[in-house]
Amino acid sequence: MRAAGGRGAVSGRGRFRVVGQSVRRTDALEKVTGRARYLCDLELPGMAHARLLRSPYAHARLVRVDVARARALPGVHAVLAAADLTFCDPTYGPALRDRPMLATGVVRYEGEPVVAVAAVDEATAAEALDLVEVDYEELPAVTTLEEALAPGAPLVHTGEPLAGHFSDLATLKAKPGTNICHQFDYQRGRPAAFAEADFVLEETYTFPRIQHYSMEPHGAVASWDDEGGLTVWASTQNPFSVRAELAKMFDLPASRIRIAVPLLGGGFGGKTYAKLEPLAAALARVTRRPVRLLASVEDAFRTVRRCSARVRLKLGFLGDGRILALDCRADFDVGAYADIAPRVIQKGTYTTTGPYRVANVKLHSNAVYTNTTPGGAFRGFGVPQIVWGVESMMDVAADRLGRDPVDLRRQNLLAHGEEFAPGDTPVDGKLEETLGRLAEAIQWSQASPPGRAKGVAAMMKASVAPSVSEAIVRLHADGSVSVLASTVEMGQGARTVMAQIAAEVLAVPLARVSVVPPDTAVTPYDQTTSSSRSTTMVGRAVQEAAEDVLDQLRKIAAAKLGVPAGRLDVDDAAIVSGPTRLPYPELLDHHFGMRGGELIGRGVVAPGRTAAPLGGSTPFWEVAMGGAEIALDEETGAISVEAYASVSDVGRCINPQQCEAQDEGAIMQGLGHTLLEEMVYEGGQLLNGDLVGYRVPRAGDVPPRVETRFVENGDGAGPFGAKGVGEGGLIPVSPAVGNALARLAGIRLRELPLTPERVWRALRERRSPRPGG
Amino acid sequence: MHVIPIRSSCRIRVTVNGRPVELDVRPEALLLDVLRDRLELKGARRSCDVQVCGACTVLLDGAPVSACTFLAVEADGREVLTVEGLATGDRLDPLQEAFMDHGAVQCGFCTAGMLLTARALLAEEPAPSPARVAEYLRGSLCRCTGYRKIVEAILACARPAGVAR
Amino acid sequence: MLRPFALYQPATVAEASEVLARDGRDASLYAGGTEVLLILKAGLLRVRSLIDVKRVPGLAEIRADDGHLSIGATATHRAVERAPAVHARCPLVAGVARHVANIRVRNVGTVGGNLAFADPHSDLATVFLVFDAVVRLASRAGERELPLGDFVRGAYETARAEDELLTAVRLAPWPAGAAGAYVKFGVHERPTLGVAVALMRDGAAIAGARVAVGCVGPRPQRAGAAEERLRGWALADLERHADEVAALAAGEVEPVTDLHGSSEYKRDMTRVFVRRTLLVAAARAAGRDTHARHPHTIIV
Repeated sequence: MRAAGGRGAVSGRGRFRVVGQSVRRTDALEKVTGRARYLCDLELPGMAHARLLRSPYAHARLVRVDVARARALPGVHAVLAAADLTFCDPTYGPALRDRPMLATGVVRYEGEPVVAVAAVDEATAAEALDLVEVDYEELPAVTTLEEALAPGAPLVHTGEPLAGHFSDLATLKAKPGTNICHQFDYQRGRPAAFAEADFVLEETYTFPRIQHYSMEPHGAVASWDDEGGLTVWASTQNPFSVRAELAKMFDLPASRIRIAVPLLGGGFGGKTYAKLEPLAAALARVTRRPVRLLASVEDAFRTVRRCSARVRLKLGFLGDGRILALDCRADFDVGAYADIAPRVIQKGTYTTTGPYRVANVKLHSNAVYTNTTPGGAFRGFGVPQIVWGVESMMDVAADRLGRDPVDLRRQNLLAHGEEFAPGDTPVDGKLEETLGRLAEAIQWSQASPPGRAKGVAAMMKASVAPSVSEAIVRLHADGSVSVLASTVEMGQGARTVMAQIAAEVLAVPLARVSVVPPDTAVTPYDQTTSSSRSTTMVGRAVQEAAEDVLDQLRKIAAAKLGVPAGRLDVDDAAIVSGPTRLPYPELLDHHFGMRGGELIGRGVVAPGRTAAPLGGSTPFWEVAMGGAEIALDEETGAISVEAYASVSDVGRCINPQQCEAQDEGAIMQGLGHTLLEEMVYEGGQLLNGDLVGYRVPRAGDVPPRVETRFVENGDGAGPFGAKGVGEGGLIPVSPAVGNALARLAGIRLRELPLTPERVWRALRERRSPRPGG
Repeated sequence: MHVIPIRSSCRIRVTVNGRPVELDVRPEALLLDVLRDRLELKGARRSCDVQVCGACTVLLDGAPVSACTFLAVEADGREVLTVEGLATGDRLDPLQEAFMDHGAVQCGFCTAGMLLTARALLAEEPAPSPARVAEYLRGSLCRCTGYRKIVEAILACARPAGVAR
Repeated sequence: MLRPFALYQPATVAEASEVLARDGRDASLYAGGTEVLLILKAGLLRVRSLIDVKRVPGLAEIRADDGHLSIGATATHRAVERAPAVHARCPLVAGVARHVANIRVRNVGTVGGNLAFADPHSDLATVFLVFDAVVRLASRAGERELPLGDFVRGAYETARAEDELLTAVRLAPWPAGAAGAYVKFGVHERPTLGVAVALMRDGAAIAGARVAVGCVGPRPQRAGAAEERLRGWALADLERHADEVAALAAGEVEPVTDLHGSSEYKRDMTRVFVRRTLLVAAARAAGRDTHARHPHTIIV
């Protein structure tokens, strides 16, 4: 994709009217007044309330499921077990169709839904579940990578895997007879290059199981109409994927399914791809009434999580600091069902070399089933897991070489326009500038005071490709504008940004632009709200659609004035030719011969498949770097982050305040998995599946100094030169802190989170190393 | 001894956002569900359900409580303020304006709880320090913003020490 | 969401006790509900009756009581934080109450509810131990008093009989010249460790000491050997001996491995924080205050 300057109403002066302004979010007022409506607020006449009975075992045979007494309870509309799902195809999954709506014959993780009830209210549904009788026969479970990969390990899944609906995963590569459900391999250069390295580092890093904790858990409301059409309101990040899934499961054409998406109370990847929607639809079908299925926060812990990982890295360096070769073998624990994890392992592993030039690369990763909560997408999408290791090792290398860590990174950075991998988009940013700004922001050249030290990390991530985003812009007779795009608003402010883009192109006031909520019956196709892609991909589609409308306006004006369209300007909701101003309503009136009608513009962004290793060229490279300054309480092992700086190359901030807001949030979420968060399993039981046991960052955890900076060279493929933002800010956090810890205390930890006890143990080891250790 | 038998209701009289309300509620009814489902006040939300996150915060006689873990019968004779009661007609509370101005709102799920908690803090301490604000927000979680803009917005509404309203 | 129950609102202790006796395990006392409503929601407890004791007169009172401080069972943490009687007689308790959980829990949660639930990870029971706390239990049959250390038997386990309710806890204010501190440490929602120290003075010497450690084991404990070691020393020497005393205390606790950490770590943290708390108390005894700050640590 070429860089887009945007042909909109810029008037050649290079100043934007509303793009680049920190305008107030279009949904701010409804959110501060309590008028905002989320899925849990939706009530329909006759709506039933659903609850799920979840497995207490990590792995067990379902010997008997008896729902007769539950069904008989007054107020119960339906009780479903797997045996009842004869009217649909009950399995789903975007990569592998491995996940049954309700456990069938076997439960594969603690918390897996076994029985679903729809009743007149929640209390009755809960009572009904009490009456369900289930006999389980426990089976041996595998709950760690070691257990799952051991020869002869019990298999989480037996039987032939079925491919899901993504074209880039048509080549799913399981390892039969094992718990490996997908493998990714990539290679370039010469494997023998390691032999030419002046030194080789070989280390293994692990990344824990992390819970998204969107404050609004998952939920769906499903309703069938009398003609057999299905509507689902869902707290989902990709309505079109859910639609495709339901179409297959219920054997319906896409045109008969409507997925409508309200505001989301957070997503972070946890609400991508079908989760509760199929069950809600099945219950609605059987009860013949709308059914609302809401997850609690505890349910969310048993719905999806981040894939944990064990990453073995081998880096070969030349004495002058150049990275010569890199070998990565990563095992990702994807839980009991694959969800989108096969793509996570690919995307995460593919950019193991990050922002660096490395000629000789060998990458292999496995997606490994375990009997735990399914692992899926989570902000960063496999990259945090890998970068934790690589960026830690860059500092290990710097130490070994006696080089400054910033300088060593700078030396190895890819140049603007350089190839990342054959077939993929060349680097679209000035990485050195980002690094320089980071060094400045964290005051790298200034020594820390005693008792403190700094660490940095850099990352580069691809966005999903190929992908498709379409948009429609409607100019109404009165000159107001509707934008139809399926980007989901989950807090990131994307829908405000779409309004800004349309307002900019058409030179109309922001208040006159409405962005229609995502609804597959109304708003055109967008693949997904994830992967930091919405501003670039959907934003471009919106920009093109608005420019399409502008073109039409110009043509109408040109015909009216007898002036070439190219000589017309746009200003303040009017086409301008010298002293003549033609406001849009006047133009439409003239065009249609009446006060009515509208102009419709269309934008399609679909770069298609390419020769790039992942099947499509990334629309932009997300580049971000971070630096942390920490202090350490050596007696307790508690780290305190005194300062954190993040620099993201965003091409252009469409809304600077929202970009800051994204990165400030990303930093804290990163500090979460760096210092605090971990889903703890004992055997197959999740010990801390609630907010008392699972510790997310609070206001008091924010470092005293936080800086977020943005590189804006207008060199992105998105509107006005924008790229993406949102994931980059999170990814460097853990290695930046880990590197600071190494510098401060001389200890190198390779697992997360860096809890006080882990640090304490490492400090004791340092003081009195175990023999042979 | 006053008894509300199992599965029977009791009448409560509560002032909600300044208006008197009469409702029959069961003993086990939680204030959060009564506000949301009986009074259509959807601003208070259920998130963690264990009194950790603050999404369900309402003010009871001016004091923040977790509506998710508060029996509705306990609200009898008392005043409840929800986020819907912060504005007076079209006039927003300064905190609401500040949250919007400072970009302190992202997904919005924590926002009602944050606003009410902040309101209670400023009522008691008109000029808190940044550290005090962070401390007071110990039970008010946000997963989106990283807290900085929320704290900034609250400080923007604080009055400099010694300046009367 | 809660399953249905009857709500009793007794006007006297006897009435409450009657319902408890009648319904046994099908009933639960209820005051602030911050503990009991959570376990009801989680399905860990099922009852047919909740007995709301907040209408029993006098149960919320916080007052001076014959030289002691009496805190009624239904007094909220917030009330304790603000009560003049607490500030006058046992000011450290006000400070500890101020830092329990979060503002919402403090507004509603009660002292009695907290003690009777006996969650190992809580602050009040620990700090009460250095005030020689005695709990008052009442039933239809009468009243009795029990030292707090005997009342709390283990994790979630107390000496309360099925038909009894906790009506008050009585604290003995420290003698003049005493100084103390409470320090709590932890990353998690509930505290990982809490140490309470009181140093009683006899001129420049330590006449007696109380050291309590909570949260690391099933119940809070006084560290008797550590207290014994402190007695007689000059205050000015405390800093030099603090390590030794702390090591003793660490040997006396019975830490349990859980989500907060291994028992090994907790034992070492006991040592670290007993020492730190002693130093804070010693500084206060000398009329100074340390401005010590440590991550994830609250010094009251």
